[in-house]
Amino acid sequence: MPERLANKLKERRGELGLTQAELAERVGVTRKTVNTVENGVFTPSAMLAIKLAQALELSVEQLFWIER
Amino acid sequence: MSDYMWGVLAGLALVVVVAAIAKWRRRDKPMSVAEKADYLSNRRARMLPALAVIFLSQQATFFSQMSGQHLSAEKAKISAWLVLSIVMLFGLATKGFWLERKEVRDLIDDENTRANRNEAMRWGFLFSMAAAIAVYILTMFDTVTGREAVHIVMSFGIAAAILRWGVLERRAHRDA
Repeated sequence: MPERLANKLKERRGELGLTQAELAERVGVTRKTVNTVENGVFTPSAMLAIKLAQALELSVEQLFWIER
Repeated sequence: MSDYMWGVLAGLALVVVVAAIAKWRRRDKPMSVAEKADYLSNRRARMLPALAVIFLSQQATFFSQMSGQHLSAEKAKISAWLVLSIVMLFGLATKGFWLERKEVRDLIDDENTRANRNEAMRWGFLFSMAAAIAVYILTMFDTVTGREAVHIVMSFGIAAAILRWGVLERRAHRDA
């Protein structure tokens, strides 16, 4: 079975009361990029993963994990 | 003025008219940089597949109406097609939205957009090569001029890249 990068972006964003647009503004990307990462359509670079984790006050490992 | 120049002017006029309409449509909409980037990116996603279909259908009529006599209308069409192709190639190869502020252009060209564009360029290259092979085989049975060959290879490559980019961008904008 292929591996995929799972995340809890949506869940964490909800906990912090942030919209996709607000999170996107915090990390300096468009809402579209946040949407694709959240839906698992796009695998972010290490740089973007770190920025997202920082914006959501989690470690990268807490935010992203590999699903087999 | 030569017929080719008329075609170049017609192509440039079309580009200017499209840019002016786009600017006019969002005249009274005060937006932040992020909102504007999102708005423009969304609009581009909707526009790209339509643009690819129009571009390809224009090529279909071009070839069906070509007499090979190099009439004035044909010369003008060739130049107009060349201008549009160059503009579309620039749109693919750069951040696009050349009349927008740098912050907006930088934000539109974020990580996901660059990845989508690279994938679109890959498709464009593969379709260009496939078209080149098809033309090569065709020359074994029929006469194809150099200009026609370049026209076919470029048209297929650009249309495939634009279409693929549009599909990827639309998918990216769609909520789960």
